Amino acid sequence: MRLVLTIGTLLLMALSAGAQAPPIRIGFASAMSGPAAITGEGVKWGATLAVEEINAKGGVGGRKIEAFFADNKAQPGEAVSAVRKLADVDQVDVIIGQTHSGACLGAMPVVKEIGLPMVIEACSHPKIREMSGKGGNEWTFRVALDDEIMAHTFARYMARQGVKSASILAMNNDFGRGAATAYDAAFKKAGVQLLSTEFFDPGQPDYRPVLTRLKRANPESILAVILASDGAPFMRQFRELGLTQKIFSRGSLGSAEFLHQVKDNPRVGDGVVEASYWITGLDPEWDRKWTERYKIPPRIHGSLSAITLRWAVVPALEIALKKHGKADRASIRAALEEVDVKDSPLGPIKFDANHQAWINMILIEMRDGQLRILEKLPTSPALLN
Amino acid sequence: MPRPPDTSLITDLLEQLLHGITLGAMYAMVAAGLALMLGVARLINFAHGEFFMLGAYAFWFAYSELGMPYPLAALLAPAVMVVFGVAYQRTVIRAILPRSWHVQLIATLATSIVLTNLAIIVFGTQPKEVPTVLSSRVLDVGGLRVVWQRLVVLAASLLIFWGLQRFVARTRTGRAMRAMSQNREACAVVGVDVQRTAMVTFALSAALAAAAAALVSPLFNIFPDMGTTLTLKAFAAVVAGGFGYVNGAIAASFLIGLTEALAGSYISYAYKDAIAFVIMIAVLLWRPQGLFGRRIGI
Repeated sequence: MRLVLTIGTLLLMALSAGAQAPPIRIGFASAMSGPAAITGEGVKWGATLAVEEINAKGGVGGRKIEAFFADNKAQPGEAVSAVRKLADVDQVDVIIGQTHSGACLGAMPVVKEIGLPMVIEACSHPKIREMSGKGGNEWTFRVALDDEIMAHTFARYMARQGVKSASILAMNNDFGRGAATAYDAAFKKAGVQLLSTEFFDPGQPDYRPVLTRLKRANPESILAVILASDGAPFMRQFRELGLTQKIFSRGSLGSAEFLHQVKDNPRVGDGVVEASYWITGLDPEWDRKWTERYKIPPRIHGSLSAITLRWAVVPALEIALKKHGKADRASIRAALEEVDVKDSPLGPIKFDANHQAWINMILIEMRDGQLRILEKLPTSPALLN
Repeated sequence: MPRPPDTSLITDLLEQLLHGITLGAMYAMVAAGLALMLGVARLINFAHGEFFMLGAYAFWFAYSELGMPYPLAALLAPAVMVVFGVAYQRTVIRAILPRSWHVQLIATLATSIVLTNLAIIVFGTQPKEVPTVLSSRVLDVGGLRVVWQRLVVLAASLLIFWGLQRFVARTRTGRAMRAMSQNREACAVVGVDVQRTAMVTFALSAALAAAAAALVSPLFNIFPDMGTTLTLKAFAAVVAGGFGYVNGAIAASFLIGLTEALAGSYISYAYKDAIAFVIMIAVLLWRPQGLFGRRIGI
């Protein structure tokens, strides 16, 4: 009898030691190839760094996190394939992504159909908020602010600076077109006359024709909806043509990424004012780790993915494990609705009925190769009125 | 306060013409190489835009990383790509040349994808900027503002096209290339070294693409995908120029560049590429044999 008991105890010990809790599988979807591959590379770097950090501290509820990546090429169709790959092949429990508005809009019906929570870190198309939560898609949550939320505040700021007229130059994709529509309405409300709207395809080598069009329209200011990668040649050619309009921007023109690209002449971006919700310096410890590891300044989309993981998804996982004892797709979705983080680097993260978080908006100015926060503003649904 | 609008229509038009010619020169150097390959080897190299991309990275490495002076770096990039062109011909092209066009299409497309992804791995996705003294120094002539580098592009491309004409018309290898583009089998029968001529064609095409890259890189960004759209535009120029007729491809390239610049400035910047391609389609409907008629040879 004693022998049987001893063997039984040994077996139980062996089983409990071997049955370590499985890792929580988190998928990251972004543009890993194509003209926007810089965003996906940043996401991969940011996610890798954040996951390593979380796992080094013991994971979440004693469970490690495993990261999986999928390429959406910044395209709606490819985003569908990325979601299917993460859901079916990698069997992830939650997705963070998709960085680009078009890809987000493409992925939303699929995550709803599959029943897989997706937390959006950066897509700013206003439609995403309308369609999420009570808008019909219970599986989509967004940390990032959208352009409708930011447009009214930014347009009012421009009007306060004495701007009477503006032209919009925006990327010819869902992000750019969504922003252009939002700013068209916001300018009307703020009393800024919109003189012209121009679109360009990302990855253009030359901006001279569109700059000439802007020159002809002769606005007092230009609202550029543009990423740092396109922003560098755009700003150089803007100076080449001798234009002097004040530039306001959305995307990542006013960013460390841009300054890194124009390091031979950082003053090319002097005076640009960017509306954003992230900037280097919000989390100095993160900046230090990133720079040490990757030898370049932190990138916006990689940092946003890491913040979304650490301050929205991890708290949801903790809630799910505590309340339901499991972190499957349905319990993570339910837990995301309960997340209430007061002090993330982006501000408070609490999803409303449309699954939109109302983080802080910041206005950044570039001067002499430096970025400076002009204003940090809390946001709320009241901004839409 | 912003300065009052420059209402000079002439200055405006001149600016766009100059811009269109610069773009056209870039397309023409790439298209000329593509036309040479099509003419001599009877093959459409869909990886040709990636020759341009690799040439740009070779230039960036020589200029920014090794600190070479601009003229030296701009000469080194084509030299590096000559080696690459030879290697490409001896590995990929030799294997697929006797096969059907389907195989050639897939193989060159696959090479294009492999090269783009290799560039992402090796050089990263962060676009490289290679500004030179000439790319930031502005020449202002009566309100017409242009950086000196654009003038360098124009002058150098003229020199390159003149050199290319002389090479094809006057040298023994050039004559062999012309002969091969007319009748490859007859060339083999009369003792022309067909393999060597094909190899020189690929080396020359790669060098032309790299020269274009070294000239325009100080004005634009360098990134792994930069060759993709360029291949399409160069291919359109080759088709409109008469399927392998080099001078036709060069002329059609300038037409595309000018159309893009003028359409982008006066009609719609967002749809300038679409407008340029619609015009190309119209040209082909009007002259299916290409702008300069059906020609035999390059």
